[in-house]
Amino acid sequence: MARTSFQWGKTMEIKVKTEGTKMTIAVNGRVDTVTAPELEASFKFGDATCVVLDVEQVPYMSSAGLRLLLTAHKTMLANGGEFQVANVQPAVKDVLDITGFSDILNLI
Amino acid sequence: MTARRSLYLKIALSVLAAFALSMAFTWFLHGHLSDNDAHELIGRTFSAVESEISDCVNERLVRQCMAARERLDEGHPDDTASLQDLARELHVTEVSIADEKGDIVRSSVPEYLAAPGKPAFNFAAAGGKAADMMALVDGRETEYCQPFRSNAANGAWRKFVGVWRPSGGFVEIGCDGAALRGLARSSIVDLFRNWRVGGTGGIVVTTPSGLVLSDYAEPNREGTQWTDPGESFYWKRVEIESFPTYVMIPKSAAAVQRDVLVSATAALNGAALVFVALLVGFVISSFVRQQMHAQAARELKMAKDIQRAALPNVFPPFPDETRFDIWAAMDAAKEVGGDFYDFYFTAQDRLLFLVADVSGKGVPGAMFMMRAKTLVKSIAQTGKPLSRVFEEANDALCEGNSSNTFVTVWAGELNILTGHVTYVNAGHNPPVVCRDENAEYLRSRPSLVLGAMPGVKYRVGELQLAPGDAIYLYTDGITEQPNAAGELYGEERLLKTLAGGQPMREALLGTVLDGVRRHAAGVEQADDCTQLAIRYRGEPDVVSWNYLPTMEDLAKATSDLEGALAPVPDRVRNQMLVAADEIFANIVRHSGATKWSLTVEKTRYPDRVRLVTTDDGKAFDPLSIRDPDTMLCAEERAIGGLGILIVKKTMSPVTYRRRNGKNVLSMGKDYGD
Repeated sequence: MARTSFQWGKTMEIKVKTEGTKMTIAVNGRVDTVTAPELEASFKFGDATCVVLDVEQVPYMSSAGLRLLLTAHKTMLANGGEFQVANVQPAVKDVLDITGFSDILNLI
Repeated sequence: MTARRSLYLKIALSVLAAFALSMAFTWFLHGHLSDNDAHELIGRTFSAVESEISDCVNERLVRQCMAARERLDEGHPDDTASLQDLARELHVTEVSIADEKGDIVRSSVPEYLAAPGKPAFNFAAAGGKAADMMALVDGRETEYCQPFRSNAANGAWRKFVGVWRPSGGFVEIGCDGAALRGLARSSIVDLFRNWRVGGTGGIVVTTPSGLVLSDYAEPNREGTQWTDPGESFYWKRVEIESFPTYVMIPKSAAAVQRDVLVSATAALNGAALVFVALLVGFVISSFVRQQMHAQAARELKMAKDIQRAALPNVFPPFPDETRFDIWAAMDAAKEVGGDFYDFYFTAQDRLLFLVADVSGKGVPGAMFMMRAKTLVKSIAQTGKPLSRVFEEANDALCEGNSSNTFVTVWAGELNILTGHVTYVNAGHNPPVVCRDENAEYLRSRPSLVLGAMPGVKYRVGELQLAPGDAIYLYTDGITEQPNAAGELYGEERLLKTLAGGQPMREALLGTVLDGVRRHAAGVEQADDCTQLAIRYRGEPDVVSWNYLPTMEDLAKATSDLEGALAPVPDRVRNQMLVAADEIFANIVRHSGATKWSLTVEKTRYPDRVRLVTTDDGKAFDPLSIRDPDTMLCAEERAIGGLGILIVKKTMSPVTYRRRNGKNVLSMGKDYGD
């Protein structure tokens, strides 16, 4: 896997794209204690019934990120919608497997 | 042994007592039975003898009575005097003639006859045995014999015999004892000569005056004076037809029979009791043996456990140590062996490690092993040079070593800062030095084993280990394990296994043991298999930073760490960054620390990173919290504890200590091949 270069001060890039009721949130950068608040701020789903979190550019994710995933998943589920996590990288998959999140989340 | 002998003695005595008791009883019983048998036999014999004598006497008297009738029928006068003559002629006591009514009409005895005022003797009227004579009158019998008895008419002892007369009535003769015996004796003499009673007993007939008439014994005693048989015979006397008759059985005959019976019983009983005794003895001794065996097995297991507990058995023994790794394993044979390994710091920078093999097995060997291990350690920890340690330990072990037990030891002392090793070999197998992909025996001239002779000097060898080099120590249980063909595992196979191109690691000890077992192929493990491997890793690459408990510093720490982990492969690096984030977040958010620090320690051989965080916050061991349930569904999931779970699952080893009022958490991770 290609190394994701990290530059201090520009920790994370978030791109949100909405097509009708489908919202795609593409994240670039690690998700940890430092960056999680930034990601959390972007989790405003509005009327979207399907939210896809694209983590292709996320090299790793700590439990601070997991908390966001779980919250989003529960919120969408309660509203009858769907929350999907796309393009999970190995280090993130390790963490999801260890914590049992692979069984809960919709990984695509 | 004496206990067992006394047990057998007791069994033997019991059996003997039982035998004696049963024999006494059998003896008594058979004695009693043979008394009874003899008496019964005598009784049965008498009834035969009685009828035999009666028949003989009756026949003789009937003949005499017929002679009297013939003489009368020929016209012999029948007045009293003539009848007295006839009686004398015929050697009988009296002769009478009775008519059809049973009246005596003629008789040699006047008082039987009718006289004025007195009727004639009438048989029918007399009743009893006399009346039986009337059978001759009514034609039921032609002859009739009364037994010898007291007479109905006048009380005199007589035997009466009558024969009928075709012309009516009957003729009767009467004999007193003397007359009867005179007539019958000749036919009685030979009557019982060939009779035998109970084997060697017989019948003797005598006269009332005690002269022997008929005798069964040889030489014959006929005509001699009879004396009663006495104590040595079972006997009985009965008077038959006035003849005193004896039936007698010598007690010796019965005794022989009894002796035969008792002997047979004794033989059978004896055989049965001996069999039972052997069986009981066998059962008891095998039970006792089994108990002793179980007891010995229990104690042996305990000894083994104690021995095993005395060896360092927590690995890794020095979790914070990055300059070397050490592994050891002892696979004990069935019995308690004398192998041991040991390692400990003798100074801050010196680690002593050794493998040893005591010459004796079992409990004595185990005790010697404990003594040797303790002695070497206590001397070594005074900081003396290795040769001196061996010389003092040797002298101490020689003291009072009456069993001449000894121990072979290979001990090395590693300077963990430089990788320099000094070693002493006290008669032990050469260890293997693993360097890059090569493995070779470190052959040196061994010094004498410990415990053999006091005053011995020990040579010290030297060796320089480069980072990544390893020393492998073992006992001959490994190399001398035979297979079914008797072929030993051997040094060559061992070297091949160790030189497999893989760097020394813990799993290699298991690989060697598997190889030994495969070689043995079912042959029982001959000896303890003890191995110890130490791998020198050299100085670690260490960097440290100090931080404040702020989000800014947390971000800085993440950045510092990412930089420090630059040479580490992505996946491991990402795992470490995740784990570090969990710990950093805990410190910054929850510990209440005023400052904290991060140390990154990188070592090679194998490649390993270790992160150590130190904070002065409240004491908190993250390893002590319970793992969250990862099987719950989304709605039930909480987020707490997941971070620690990730740390525990991805890092190894993870250790926590509270030191000097600070939380010290260490996380290690091996990478590379």
